[in-house]
Amino acid sequence: MLIQIAWRNVWRNKVRSLVVVIAVALGLWAGVFSDAFMQGMADQQIYSVIHTKTGHIQLNEPCFLQNHDLQLRMDHADSLTSEISAMPGVAAVSAILQQTSMASTSASSAGVMINAVDPDDQQKVSDLYTMMVAGSWFERSTRSNPIVIGQGLANKLKVKEKSRMVLTLQTDQGEIVYGAFKVVGIFKSQDSEYDKLTVFVRRQDLLPLIHLPESTATSITVLLNNTEDTEVKMAELNSRYKDLQIQSWTEITPMLQMMSSAMTLTNIIFVGIILIALAFGIINTMLMAVMDRTREIGMLASIGMKPGQIFWMIMLETVFLSITGAIFGLVASILMVNWFGRSGIDLGMLAEGINSVGFSTTVYPGLSTAMYAIIACMVVVIALIAGIFPARRAISLKPASAVRGE
Amino acid sequence: MAVIEISSLTKTYNETTVPVHALNGVDLQFEKGEFTAIVGPSGCGKTTLLNMMGGLDAPSSGEVLVENEDITRMKAGPLVEYRLNNIGFIFQSYNLIPVLTVEENVQFIMELQHRNKKEVRDRVDHLLQVMGISDKKTVRPKFLSGGQQQRVAVARALASKPKFILADEPTANLDSKSTDTLLDLMAELNEQEQMTFIFSTHDQRVMDKAKRIITMEDGKVISDVKVSN
Ligand SMILES: Nc1ncnc2c1ncn2[C@@H]1O[C@H](COP(=O)(O)OP(=O)(O)OP(=O)(O)O)[C@@H](O)[C@H]1O
Ligand SMILES: [Mg+2]
Repeated sequence: MLIQIAWRNVWRNKVRSLVVVIAVALGLWAGVFSDAFMQGMADQQIYSVIHTKTGHIQLNEPCFLQNHDLQLRMDHADSLTSEISAMPGVAAVSAILQQTSMASTSASSAGVMINAVDPDDQQKVSDLYTMMVAGSWFERSTRSNPIVIGQGLANKLKVKEKSRMVLTLQTDQGEIVYGAFKVVGIFKSQDSEYDKLTVFVRRQDLLPLIHLPESTATSITVLLNNTEDTEVKMAELNSRYKDLQIQSWTEITPMLQMMSSAMTLTNIIFVGIILIALAFGIINTMLMAVMDRTREIGMLASIGMKPGQIFWMIMLETVFLSITGAIFGLVASILMVNWFGRSGIDLGMLAEGINSVGFSTTVYPGLSTAMYAIIACMVVVIALIAGIFPARRAISLKPASAVRGE
Repeated sequence: MAVIEISSLTKTYNETTVPVHALNGVDLQFEKGEFTAIVGPSGCGKTTLLNMMGGLDAPSSGEVLVENEDITRMKAGPLVEYRLNNIGFIFQSYNLIPVLTVEENVQFIMELQHRNKKEVRDRVDHLLQVMGISDKKTVRPKFLSGGQQQRVAVARALASKPKFILADEPTANLDSKSTDTLLDLMAELNEQEQMTFIFSTHDQRVMDKAKRIITMEDGKVISDVKVSN
C-alpha cells in the first residue's frame, strides 16, 4: 500500500509535480539527444576512417611505418593476401605499396603519398571509390598510367580529369626515376587534409617503374565483417604472422579510439550535470511537499507508521516523480534519436569547418543500449540521493508538534 | 483494574523564551470502558495530557502506566509499535490520508499491523457499517462532510483493536447535528463493546454525553466527577 500511497501522493499537487516531470523530461531529452548526436558523430567518424583509410587491421614489415623505407617491403604480399582473405570473418583484403613522393605539373608541385593498389581489391576495403567528384575509380582505360587523386591536391596542382602529372619515384636502390600519369578520377573524402596528400595508382603500373617484382607491397589492409571482431582477429593474425607488425585501427589512429572513449565519458558527465541540476529542483519540490503535509505526516507517525516507512514513502515519491519525467524524456529522446538516426541531420551550413577535421556533414545520432541503461540507472541513483533530504525532513517531524501544526 | 494510571505528571516546554508549565503534577486513573471528557479553558493542558497518554510526547517527570507498563520510558522504536497496536487516535482534523479512499484509510492501519487480508476485509466492512458510511467506501475523504470524515477516523481508530481511544476535540469542526451523530455512535460503541474513550472538548453537548468529566486549569486537574445520565 506504501507504493500506492506514494504514487498517488505524487499527483496530489498536479501542477507542482508536472513542472518537475516536464523539467526532468526536457533536461534528459536535451542531454540524451546531444549525447546521441556526439556519439553518432564519433561513431560515424570511426566508421568512415575504417572504411576509407585504415580498414580494421593493417600488416606491415616491422618499422615500415616509421620511415616508409622500401627496404622494408613484403615480397610475397599476394600470397599473404590470399591467405588472409580465406580467414573467416574477413570481408576483404588489399595489398598496398606506399611511397612518399613529389607530384608535379607545369603549374605547381606538391608532396604526396602514393598508394599503389589493385583497384578491384582496394575498392572492397575502401569506400573511397564512391566519393568521386570527377572521373571514376580507374575505370577509364588510358595508354599512360592512370592516377586517382584527392580534390585538395587537384586544386593545388590545378589539374582536372585527363590532366597529366609526373611523380618523382625512388627505387629500392635509392635511385630517382620519373613516371608520367594521367588523372582518371578525383575524389573528395570527409577529410580534406587527406585529400591534399593522397594519390592512388595501380600497383601493376608502379612496380615496374621502380624495378620491383610483381607481388611486392608494403602494407596489407584487412576489412572485417564486424568491427567488434577486431581484437579476436588481431590475436589470430599475430599468432600466424609473428614477424610482421600487425596493427588494429585503434593503434593506427589512437586518437580515434581515445576520442571514442572520451566521448562516452563526456556524455556521462554531461547527463550527470543535467541530472544534478534537476536534483535541486526535485529536492525543492519534495521539501515543499513534505512541509505542506506536516500535519498529515504527524498523524501517520502518531497512529503508528514507523519512521522507516515514512522515510520510504517520501523516497518512493521522489523516485516516482523523477522516473515519470525520465520516462517521458527517454522515450522522446529514443524516438528522436531513431528518427534522426535514420534520416540524419544535415550540417550543410557548417560544413566547411566540420569537413576539414574529418567529420561527415550529415550526422546520424545514435546511442548504445548500454548508454541508455547507464542513464536510466543514473536517474534512479540521483532520485534516491535527492529523496534523502525530504525523507529525512519528514522523519525529523515530532508527531506531537506535527499534529499541532507546527 | 485501571487501564491507565497517571502519577505526578508534569510537562514543561523549555523551547520557548519563558518556560511553559503545561502540566503541573497530574494524577489520574482510567478504567476499562470509560467514556470520559477532559474539559477546561484553552491552554489548560488538555492536548498536552492526551499526548502524554498517547505516547506522542515525553513528560518532564512522572509516569504514565498503561496496564502497568510505563510508556514514558519506552524507546522511540517500540513506542511506535506500541501506539499502533494499543492506542486509537482521533484528531480534530487531518485524520485521514487524502489519497486513500475511505475503505483504504481503514485498511491502512490494519496493514501496518500485518493482519491477514481476509480479516482486514471483513473488519473494514463491519466497521464502516457500524459507523454508517458503507455507501462511501470507495470515496476519497475530501468528498465527505466533516462529520463523515470523523466517523471514518473512529472506524480507523477501532480497526486496530486498541486498548483505548484518545480523541482531541473530535467535534471541534463539526456542526451540532454531526456532533450528535458522532457522539451517539461513540457512546454506542462504548456501551456495546466496552471501548474506552477519552476525549477533550469545549463543547457542552459532548460534556452532556460523557460519563465522567475531568476539568483542568493551568495544567492541573481541578475537578473529576462521575455523572450518571
Ligand atoms: N510545543 C510547545 N511549545 C511551547 N509551549 C507549548 C507547546 N505546546 C503547547 N504549549 C503550551 O502549553 C500550554 C498547554 O497547551 P495545550 O495545547 O495542552 O492546551 P489545550 O488545553 O489543549 O488548549 P486548547 O483548548 O486551545 O486546545 C499552552 O500554554 C500552550 O501554549
Ligand atoms: Mg488542545
